[in-house]
Amino acid sequence: MDHLTPPAPAWQMKVFPLFSLLGWVLILSSFLIGLIGLAPTAASYWGGNAKAVRDAAEAGSALLGQLQVLSVIPRWLEPLAFLGVAAFMTGIALEFSTIPAVLKNRGQVMSACFPLIVKLGGK
Amino acid sequence: MEEQEAPFPFNMIEGMMPMFPMMAVVGWMIVLIAFLIGATGLASSQATFFSDAKAIREGAAAGSAFVRANIDSHVIETWVPQFKFLGLGLGLMAITMALGTIAKRLRRMGMVISRHLPADLRSAMPPIPRRVRLFQLSTLMGVMILVAALVIGIVLATGAVPSYWNHSIANDLNPAQPGSELLAKLGLVSSFADWLNPLRLVGMAFLFTAITLALTVIIGTLRTQAAMLVRFYAEASGRR
Repeated sequence: MDHLTPPAPAWQMKVFPLFSLLGWVLILSSFLIGLIGLAPTAASYWGGNAKAVRDAAEAGSALLGQLQVLSVIPRWLEPLAFLGVAAFMTGIALEFSTIPAVLKNRGQVMSACFPLIVKLGGK
Repeated sequence: MEEQEAPFPFNMIEGMMPMFPMMAVVGWMIVLIAFLIGATGLASSQATFFSDAKAIREGAAAGSAFVRANIDSHVIETWVPQFKFLGLGLGLMAITMALGTIAKRLRRMGMVISRHLPADLRSAMPPIPRRVRLFQLSTLMGVMILVAALVIGIVLATGAVPSYWNHSIANDLNPAQPGSELLAKLGLVSSFADWLNPLRLVGMAFLFTAITLALTVIIGTLRTQAAMLVRFYAEASGRR
Protein backbone atom coordinates (compact mmCIF):
# COMPACT_ATOMS: atom_id res chain seq x y z
CA MET A 1 0.00 0.00 0.00
CA ASP A 2 2.92 2.34 -0.60
CA HIS A 3 1.31 4.00 -3.61
CA LEU A 4 -1.91 5.13 -2.03
CA THR A 5 -3.45 7.91 -4.14
CA PRO A 6 -6.72 9.83 -4.23
CA PRO A 7 -9.18 8.77 -6.98
CA ALA A 8 -7.96 9.58 -10.49
CA PRO A 9 -9.78 12.43 -12.28
CA ALA A 10 -12.64 11.03 -14.39
CA TRP A 11 -13.35 12.18 -17.96
CA GLN A 12 -17.06 12.17 -17.16
CA MET A 13 -16.58 15.10 -14.78
CA LYS A 14 -15.24 17.19 -17.67
CA VAL A 15 -18.04 16.22 -20.06
CA PHE A 16 -21.15 16.44 -17.85
CA PRO A 17 -21.18 20.30 -17.63
CA LEU A 18 -21.42 20.42 -21.43
CA PHE A 19 -24.56 18.29 -21.33
CA SER A 20 -26.07 20.44 -18.57
CA LEU A 21 -25.28 23.58 -20.56
CA LEU A 22 -26.79 22.03 -23.69
CA GLY A 23 -29.92 21.19 -21.68
CA TRP A 24 -30.28 24.82 -20.59
CA VAL A 25 -29.68 26.15 -24.12
CA LEU A 26 -32.29 23.85 -25.69
CA ILE A 27 -34.96 24.37 -23.01
CA LEU A 28 -34.49 28.15 -22.81
CA SER A 29 -34.52 28.40 -26.62
CA SER A 30 -37.80 26.53 -26.84
CA PHE A 31 -39.29 28.72 -24.09
CA LEU A 32 -38.18 31.93 -25.82
CA ILE A 33 -39.35 30.77 -29.27
CA GLY A 34 -42.72 29.91 -27.71
CA LEU A 35 -42.98 33.18 -25.78
CA ILE A 36 -41.69 35.59 -28.42
CA GLY A 37 -42.55 33.75 -31.64
CA LEU A 38 -45.43 31.33 -31.35
CA ALA A 39 -47.67 32.89 -28.67
CA PRO A 40 -48.02 36.33 -30.35
CA THR A 41 -48.55 34.64 -33.73
CA ALA A 42 -51.26 32.39 -32.26
CA ALA A 43 -52.92 35.32 -30.49
CA SER A 44 -52.90 37.34 -33.70
CA TYR A 45 -54.06 34.49 -35.98
CA TRP A 46 -56.86 33.15 -33.77
CA GLY A 47 -57.80 36.35 -31.97
CA GLY A 48 -57.55 38.80 -34.86
CA ASN A 49 -59.43 37.07 -37.67
CA ALA A 50 -62.95 35.73 -38.03
CA LYS A 51 -63.28 32.04 -38.85
CA ALA A 52 -64.64 32.83 -42.33
CA VAL A 53 -61.55 34.94 -43.08
CA ARG A 54 -59.16 32.29 -41.74
CA ASP A 55 -60.88 29.55 -43.76
CA ALA A 56 -60.84 31.62 -46.94
CA ALA A 57 -57.13 32.48 -46.76
CA GLU A 58 -55.44 32.07 -50.16
CA ALA A 59 -52.09 30.49 -50.93
CA GLY A 60 -49.28 32.97 -50.26
CA SER A 61 -51.37 35.11 -47.89
CA ALA A 62 -50.01 36.28 -44.55
CA LEU A 63 -52.78 34.38 -42.74
CA LEU A 64 -51.81 31.08 -44.32
CA GLY A 65 -48.18 31.85 -43.49
CA GLN A 66 -49.17 32.30 -39.83
CA LEU A 67 -51.09 29.02 -39.90
CA GLN A 68 -48.02 27.28 -41.32
CA VAL A 69 -45.84 28.71 -38.55
CA LEU A 70 -48.36 27.57 -35.90
CA SER A 71 -48.56 24.09 -37.39
CA VAL A 72 -44.92 23.48 -38.29
CA ILE A 73 -42.82 24.95 -35.44
CA PRO A 74 -44.45 23.03 -32.54
CA ARG A 75 -43.69 19.77 -34.40
CA TRP A 76 -39.95 20.25 -33.78
CA LEU A 77 -39.98 22.69 -30.88
CA GLU A 78 -41.35 20.28 -28.30
CA PRO A 79 -38.95 17.44 -29.25
CA LEU A 80 -36.14 20.02 -29.05
CA ALA A 81 -37.12 20.89 -25.47
CA PHE A 82 -37.21 17.20 -24.56
CA LEU A 83 -33.78 16.81 -26.15
CA GLY A 84 -32.71 19.35 -23.55
CA VAL A 85 -34.26 17.20 -20.80
CA ALA A 86 -32.38 14.19 -22.20
CA ALA A 87 -29.14 16.22 -22.18
CA PHE A 88 -29.60 16.95 -18.46
CA MET A 89 -30.28 13.27 -17.76
CA THR A 90 -27.17 12.24 -19.69
CA GLY A 91 -25.10 14.67 -17.64
CA ILE A 92 -26.54 13.28 -14.41
CA ALA A 93 -25.88 9.69 -15.54
CA LEU A 94 -22.26 10.61 -16.37
CA GLU A 95 -21.80 12.04 -12.90
CA PHE A 96 -23.27 8.93 -11.28
CA SER A 97 -20.93 6.76 -13.38
CA THR A 98 -17.89 8.22 -11.58
CA ILE A 99 -19.12 7.26 -8.09
CA PRO A 100 -18.22 3.51 -8.14
CA ALA A 101 -14.54 4.27 -8.86
CA VAL A 102 -14.47 6.96 -6.15
CA LEU A 103 -16.02 4.55 -3.62
CA LYS A 104 -13.61 1.76 -4.61
CA ASN A 105 -10.70 4.10 -4.00
CA ARG A 106 -12.25 5.20 -0.72
CA GLY A 107 -12.43 1.57 0.41
CA GLN A 108 -8.76 1.01 -0.45
CA VAL A 109 -7.68 4.22 1.28
CA MET A 110 -9.77 3.46 4.36
CA SER A 111 -8.48 -0.11 4.68
CA ALA A 112 -4.89 1.18 4.48
CA CYS A 113 -5.50 3.99 6.95
CA PHE A 114 -7.56 2.07 9.47
CA PRO A 115 -4.67 0.21 11.20
CA LEU A 116 -2.79 3.52 11.47
CA ILE A 117 -5.82 5.29 12.93
CA VAL A 118 -6.18 2.50 15.51
CA LYS A 119 -2.47 2.60 16.33
CA LEU A 120 -1.92 6.38 16.40
CA GLY A 121 -5.36 7.73 17.21
CA GLY A 122 -6.28 7.74 20.84
CA LYS A 123 -10.00 8.38 20.80
CA MET B 1 -17.35 19.30 16.08
CA GLU B 2 -20.98 20.06 15.37
CA GLU B 3 -21.76 22.12 12.26
CA GLN B 4 -23.20 25.60 12.67
CA GLU B 5 -26.86 25.85 11.72
CA ALA B 6 -27.43 27.13 8.16
CA PRO B 7 -28.82 30.69 7.81
CA PHE B 8 -32.43 31.37 6.77
CA PRO B 9 -33.91 30.14 4.39
CA PHE B 10 -31.37 27.33 4.05
CA ASN B 11 -32.07 26.08 7.59
CA MET B 12 -35.68 25.57 6.52
CA ILE B 13 -34.63 23.65 3.41
CA GLU B 14 -32.17 21.53 5.38
CA GLY B 15 -34.89 20.79 7.92
CA MET B 16 -37.10 19.53 5.11
CA MET B 17 -34.39 17.38 3.51
CA PRO B 18 -34.98 14.20 5.55
CA MET B 19 -38.64 14.30 4.43
CA PHE B 20 -37.68 13.28 0.89
CA PRO B 21 -39.49 9.88 0.87
CA MET B 22 -42.77 11.63 1.71
CA MET B 23 -42.19 14.19 -1.05
CA ALA B 24 -41.54 11.42 -3.56
CA VAL B 25 -44.79 9.68 -2.57
CA VAL B 26 -46.75 12.97 -2.80
CA GLY B 27 -45.25 13.61 -6.26
CA TRP B 28 -46.17 10.12 -7.42
CA MET B 29 -49.71 10.52 -6.08
CA ILE B 30 -50.14 13.81 -7.95
CA VAL B 31 -49.13 12.10 -11.20
CA LEU B 32 -51.51 9.23 -10.37
CA ILE B 33 -54.38 11.69 -9.76
CA ALA B 34 -53.58 13.39 -13.10
CA PHE B 35 -53.78 9.98 -14.78
CA LEU B 36 -57.12 9.20 -13.09
CA ILE B 37 -58.59 12.57 -14.09
CA GLY B 38 -57.47 11.93 -17.69
CA ALA B 39 -58.77 8.36 -17.71
CA THR B 40 -62.14 9.25 -16.21
CA GLY B 41 -63.03 12.95 -16.56
CA LEU B 42 -61.27 13.82 -19.81
CA ALA B 43 -61.99 10.52 -21.54
CA SER B 44 -65.69 10.60 -20.67
CA SER B 45 -66.17 14.23 -21.72
CA GLN B 46 -64.41 13.54 -25.03
CA ALA B 47 -66.61 10.45 -25.52
CA THR B 48 -69.73 12.53 -24.84
CA PHE B 49 -68.69 15.35 -27.15
CA PHE B 50 -67.87 13.05 -30.06
CA SER B 51 -71.00 10.92 -29.64
CA ASP B 52 -72.95 12.69 -32.38
CA ALA B 53 -72.51 14.24 -35.83
CA LYS B 54 -70.39 17.38 -36.21
CA ALA B 55 -73.42 19.51 -37.14
CA ILE B 56 -75.27 18.41 -33.99
CA ARG B 57 -72.40 18.85 -31.51
CA GLU B 58 -71.28 22.16 -32.95
CA GLY B 59 -74.83 23.46 -33.18
CA ALA B 60 -75.61 22.56 -29.57
CA ALA B 61 -76.54 25.57 -27.42
CA ALA B 62 -74.80 26.71 -24.23
CA GLY B 63 -75.95 24.58 -21.30
CA SER B 64 -76.39 21.47 -23.41
CA ALA B 65 -74.53 18.23 -22.65
CA PHE B 66 -72.28 18.72 -25.68
CA VAL B 67 -71.18 22.20 -24.66
CA ARG B 68 -70.66 21.08 -21.05
CA ALA B 69 -68.54 18.16 -22.25
CA ASN B 70 -66.51 20.49 -24.47
CA ILE B 71 -65.92 22.88 -21.55
CA ASP B 72 -64.85 20.00 -19.29
CA SER B 73 -62.36 18.75 -21.90
CA HIS B 74 -60.74 22.13 -22.34
CA VAL B 75 -60.69 22.94 -18.62
CA ILE B 76 -59.04 19.62 -17.76
CA GLU B 77 -56.49 20.04 -20.56
CA THR B 78 -55.65 23.49 -19.19
CA TRP B 79 -54.77 22.68 -15.58
CA VAL B 80 -54.10 18.93 -15.34
CA PRO B 81 -50.80 18.96 -17.32
CA GLN B 82 -49.48 21.70 -14.99
CA PHE B 83 -50.57 19.62 -11.99
CA LYS B 84 -48.86 16.52 -13.44
CA PHE B 85 -45.58 18.40 -13.95
CA LEU B 86 -45.73 19.65 -10.36
CA GLY B 87 -45.89 15.97 -9.32
CA LEU B 88 -42.86 15.17 -11.48
CA GLY B 89 -41.11 18.21 -10.00
CA LEU B 90 -41.75 17.01 -6.45
CA GLY B 91 -40.23 13.66 -7.47
CA LEU B 92 -37.10 15.43 -8.73
CA MET B 93 -37.07 17.58 -5.59
CA ALA B 94 -37.13 14.40 -3.50
CA ILE B 95 -34.09 13.12 -5.40
CA THR B 96 -32.25 16.40 -4.77
CA MET B 97 -33.15 16.30 -1.08
CA ALA B 98 -31.97 12.68 -0.84
CA LEU B 99 -28.65 13.63 -2.42
CA GLY B 100 -28.38 16.59 -0.05
CA THR B 101 -28.98 14.28 2.91
CA ILE B 102 -26.29 11.89 1.64
CA ALA B 103 -23.83 14.79 1.26
CA LYS B 104 -24.58 15.95 4.80
CA ARG B 105 -24.08 12.44 6.24
CA LEU B 106 -20.81 12.07 4.30
CA ARG B 107 -19.54 15.30 5.82
CA ARG B 108 -20.53 14.14 9.29
CA MET B 109 -18.80 10.79 8.67
CA GLY B 110 -15.66 12.69 7.60
CA MET B 111 -15.81 14.69 10.84
CA VAL B 112 -16.07 11.49 12.90
CA ILE B 113 -13.06 9.94 11.14
CA SER B 114 -11.11 13.17 11.47
CA ARG B 115 -11.82 13.23 15.23
CA HIS B 116 -10.10 9.86 15.57
CA LEU B 117 -6.90 11.03 13.88
CA PRO B 118 -4.01 12.30 16.02
CA ALA B 119 -4.36 16.07 16.41
CA ASP B 120 -1.00 16.85 14.75
CA LEU B 121 -1.89 14.76 11.68
CA ARG B 122 -5.45 16.02 11.40
CA SER B 123 -6.30 18.29 8.43
CA ALA B 124 -8.67 21.20 8.99
CA MET B 125 -12.27 20.50 7.92
CA PRO B 126 -12.92 22.28 4.62
CA PRO B 127 -15.86 24.75 4.65
CA ILE B 128 -19.26 23.71 3.30
CA PRO B 129 -19.06 24.13 -0.51
CA ARG B 130 -20.97 27.06 -1.99
CA ARG B 131 -22.63 24.62 -4.37
CA VAL B 132 -24.73 23.32 -1.47
CA ARG B 133 -26.55 26.66 -1.26
CA LEU B 134 -26.77 26.81 -5.05
CA PHE B 135 -28.46 23.43 -5.39
CA GLN B 136 -30.87 24.28 -2.59
CA LEU B 137 -31.79 27.56 -4.31
CA SER B 138 -32.07 25.85 -7.69
CA THR B 139 -34.48 23.28 -6.20
CA LEU B 140 -36.64 26.03 -4.69
CA MET B 141 -36.64 27.97 -7.95
CA GLY B 142 -37.67 24.90 -9.95
CA VAL B 143 -40.56 24.03 -7.65
CA MET B 144 -41.70 27.67 -7.49
CA ILE B 145 -41.83 27.85 -11.32
CA LEU B 146 -43.89 24.64 -11.44
CA VAL B 147 -46.26 26.00 -8.76
CA ALA B 148 -46.56 29.27 -10.72
CA ALA B 149 -47.38 27.29 -13.90
CA LEU B 150 -50.09 25.42 -11.97
CA VAL B 151 -51.54 28.67 -10.60
CA ILE B 152 -51.63 30.17 -14.12
CA GLY B 153 -53.27 26.96 -15.37
CA ILE B 154 -55.93 27.14 -12.64
CA VAL B 155 -56.59 30.85 -13.32
CA LEU B 156 -57.10 30.10 -17.02
CA ALA B 157 -59.13 26.96 -16.28
CA THR B 158 -61.53 28.89 -14.06
CA GLY B 159 -61.68 32.05 -16.20
CA ALA B 160 -61.03 32.50 -19.89
CA VAL B 161 -61.23 28.83 -20.94
CA PRO B 162 -64.74 27.92 -19.64
CA SER B 163 -65.98 31.40 -20.45
CA TYR B 164 -64.93 31.01 -24.12
CA TRP B 165 -66.13 27.43 -24.65
CA ASN B 166 -69.52 27.98 -22.92
CA HIS B 167 -71.07 28.90 -26.26
CA SER B 168 -72.52 27.16 -29.27
CA ILE B 169 -69.62 26.54 -31.65
CA ALA B 170 -71.64 27.02 -34.84
CA ASN B 171 -73.91 29.85 -33.68
CA ASP B 172 -71.66 31.92 -31.35
CA LEU B 173 -67.98 31.00 -31.65
CA ASN B 174 -67.57 30.57 -35.40
CA PRO B 175 -69.33 33.84 -36.40
CA ALA B 176 -67.33 35.92 -33.88
CA GLN B 177 -65.86 39.02 -35.53
CA PRO B 178 -62.48 40.72 -34.99
CA GLY B 179 -62.61 43.05 -32.00
CA SER B 180 -65.25 40.95 -30.26
CA GLU B 181 -64.68 39.66 -26.76
CA LEU B 182 -65.08 36.08 -27.97
CA LEU B 183 -62.33 36.33 -30.57
CA ALA B 184 -60.01 38.04 -28.05
CA LYS B 185 -60.59 35.09 -25.69
CA LEU B 186 -59.91 32.65 -28.54
CA GLY B 187 -56.56 34.40 -29.04
CA LEU B 188 -55.77 33.88 -25.35
CA VAL B 189 -56.90 30.25 -25.05
CA SER B 190 -55.09 29.29 -28.27
CA SER B 191 -51.78 30.89 -27.37
CA PHE B 192 -51.04 30.29 -23.66
CA ALA B 193 -49.81 26.72 -24.20
CA ASP B 194 -47.06 28.01 -26.50
CA TRP B 195 -45.22 29.60 -23.58
CA LEU B 196 -46.69 27.84 -20.54
CA ASN B 197 -45.61 24.35 -21.62
CA PRO B 198 -41.94 25.33 -22.14
CA LEU B 199 -42.08 27.30 -18.86
CA ARG B 200 -42.74 24.01 -17.04
CA LEU B 201 -39.61 22.61 -18.62
CA VAL B 202 -37.62 25.64 -17.42
CA GLY B 203 -38.76 24.66 -13.90
CA MET B 204 -37.63 21.09 -14.56
CA ALA B 205 -34.27 22.44 -15.83
CA PHE B 206 -33.70 24.14 -12.47
CA LEU B 207 -34.44 20.84 -10.71
CA PHE B 208 -32.09 18.89 -12.99
CA THR B 209 -29.42 21.52 -12.35
CA ALA B 210 -29.96 21.05 -8.60
CA ILE B 211 -29.44 17.28 -8.95
CA THR B 212 -26.29 17.89 -11.01
CA LEU B 213 -24.90 20.27 -8.38
CA ALA B 214 -25.82 17.95 -5.49
CA LEU B 215 -23.92 15.13 -7.21
CA THR B 216 -20.85 17.33 -7.66
CA VAL B 217 -21.01 18.07 -3.91
CA ILE B 218 -21.11 14.33 -3.07
CA ILE B 219 -18.32 13.45 -5.49
CA GLY B 220 -16.26 16.44 -4.32
CA THR B 221 -16.73 15.46 -0.66
CA LEU B 222 -15.62 11.88 -1.34
CA ARG B 223 -12.56 13.04 -3.26
CA THR B 224 -11.58 15.61 -0.61
CA GLN B 225 -11.91 13.04 2.17
CA ALA B 226 -9.85 10.52 0.18
CA ALA B 227 -7.14 13.17 -0.36
CA MET B 228 -7.13 13.98 3.38
CA LEU B 229 -6.77 10.29 4.28
CA VAL B 230 -4.00 9.78 1.71
CA ARG B 231 -2.14 12.73 3.26
CA PHE B 232 -2.65 11.24 6.72
CA TYR B 233 -1.41 7.83 5.48
CA ALA B 234 1.75 9.35 3.99
CA GLU B 235 2.57 11.33 7.15
CA ALA B 236 1.62 8.54 9.59
CA SER B 237 3.59 5.90 7.64
CA GLY B 238 6.72 8.04 7.91
CA ARG B 239 6.28 8.27 11.67
CA ARG B 240 5.71 4.50 12.14
